[in-house]
Amino acid sequence: MFFGHVTKDISAYCHGELSSEDSKQFAEHIISCARCRSKFEEVKLGIKLAEQLPQLSAPDHLWRDLEPLLAKQTSSVRSGSGFWTWRVQLAAAAAVLLIAGVGGLWLYNNSRTPAIGTAKSAWQVKRLDGTPRIGSEGISNNGELGVGEWLETDGRSRAQIAVSSIGNVEIDENTRVRLLETHATEHRLELARGKMSARIWAPPRLFFVDTPSAVAADLGCAYTLEVDDHGASLLHVTSGWVALELKDRESMVPAGAACETRPGIGPGTPYFEDSPAAFREALKKIDFDNDSTGLSLLLDQARPRDTLTLWHLLARVNGADRVRVYDKMAAFVPPPPGVTREGVLQLDQQMLETWRHALESTWMGGGGSKVPKPIADAYFKVKNGLSRRLKEMAPK
Amino acid sequence: MMVAEQLIDEGVIEACQQGDRAAFQLLFETYKDKVFSIAVYSSGGDRAVADDVTQQIFLKLFTAIRQFRGDSEFTTWLYRLVVNACLDERRRRRRLLPWGETVAMRNPGDKKPQEKQYARLEVQEAVQAAIGELKPKFRLPILLKYIEGLSYDEIASVMGCSKGTVASRLNRGHSQLAKRLSHLNNPAVWGD
Repeated sequence: MFFGHVTKDISAYCHGELSSEDSKQFAEHIISCARCRSKFEEVKLGIKLAEQLPQLSAPDHLWRDLEPLLAKQTSSVRSGSGFWTWRVQLAAAAAVLLIAGVGGLWLYNNSRTPAIGTAKSAWQVKRLDGTPRIGSEGISNNGELGVGEWLETDGRSRAQIAVSSIGNVEIDENTRVRLLETHATEHRLELARGKMSARIWAPPRLFFVDTPSAVAADLGCAYTLEVDDHGASLLHVTSGWVALELKDRESMVPAGAACETRPGIGPGTPYFEDSPAAFREALKKIDFDNDSTGLSLLLDQARPRDTLTLWHLLARVNGADRVRVYDKMAAFVPPPPGVTREGVLQLDQQMLETWRHALESTWMGGGGSKVPKPIADAYFKVKNGLSRRLKEMAPK
Repeated sequence: MMVAEQLIDEGVIEACQQGDRAAFQLLFETYKDKVFSIAVYSSGGDRAVADDVTQQIFLKLFTAIRQFRGDSEFTTWLYRLVVNACLDERRRRRRLLPWGETVAMRNPGDKKPQEKQYARLEVQEAVQAAIGELKPKFRLPILLKYIEGLSYDEIASVMGCSKGTVASRLNRGHSQLAKRLSHLNNPAVWGD
């Protein structure tokens, strides 16, 4: 079906009107094509806007006005039989009551979540082991997870969720997840506890997972996410990229890398999983104990691809420590033309992005990370947009 | 499908075809809000015109329902009637009014709400106004999708075109909405 650009299929994709195979091809194309991605963002905004259209209530006088006009026409129409009359009168009375109730409920829901289809959408759940529960009901083979409902597994049960038409999520033992939102422009799950593995074939930022200490935003990828009983989480990315966000703190995690989060702090600094244990321990202290005594050890152990960690650290350490991080990075990959030491130390966003571009090949050239450049470009475009939005949202 | 729509079965439609007023009231109560919504959005927000159009649609439905043979879904058949009535009304009004002189919906940009909780209402009003400015061929698929909740196949059946045409028109409609309302592409507006 897809031989070139996919702009004409964007609405159909967002509305789940493409076949599974076409959806995958669409997502693969859009991740690597800047032109289609730009159009995708435009159409996505249009869909988000159209979803705000409220259904209006017809005025009460309409039926009163209509009745006499119908009466004129009735004379030319054969009257209904007695059977139908009493049957439909009962049904009509029931319907009026029902419509009043449903209408009231609709208005209530609509005033809170205007997105059409949100409340009635549900995801298919397949039992993998044991007896997972949706709410208080155990599911034997298949079930449906509605918006607001919890899916819970015990020590012997596992389940798989079909995330609309864009991917699937496996829920491990002792895990609790809730469907928060699902519509054309956003699918959002809450992981309160336990472990899940997600595989998503969608353009960036359609699938989100809320945890107690960060939000994981999918950028077209596969990953596992664990949340412990204290609300801390650990992300492992196996393909593509994931963004972890909490307020103004964000970490971008590529395939082969991991990142921890803590309640009240948010995402720590991403690191490649093959980095030395001492490197990771020192990083954890910097991230979550505000203890930078291990920075010297971390810098000693850093390899060129660990500039992923160092690049994130630039904004997370101050003064002399930032200078040391800069010097180590510059020794591995000198800043490109236009990027100055002073600018980087002052966290000039443009310079940081330019240097990051130069670092990408180092991050992706290693053994564990095989992320195609187009995906990384897509990811960083998203990241730039995210940074802008976070700045716009920051209190003045 | 809303719960109330499930009450409209073959029996109710057959009773309507026999002229049963109670059955017809059931039909009216079930679909009046959706029909009225399409009429409002199609008339550029003029509720008086929408009142008339809705009344005409149900009046016509009262007699035309005898011709419904069940070859398609009743809702498809009904929305075809609604779409045609809205297009007829638009053609009629264009003959009466100079080009572009339709009754505009209130421009949300005219008022400056101070409270953040009004932001979403502001968006709704802006979208309603922008929808009213779209050409019917782009507006109607959007209304059928978002007000009636129809699938692409169902919209194609109502509009008498292919599914591909529906996809294309929705795409262009979404793009035009986004361009007209690009100033709303701001997280503060959505309260994200």
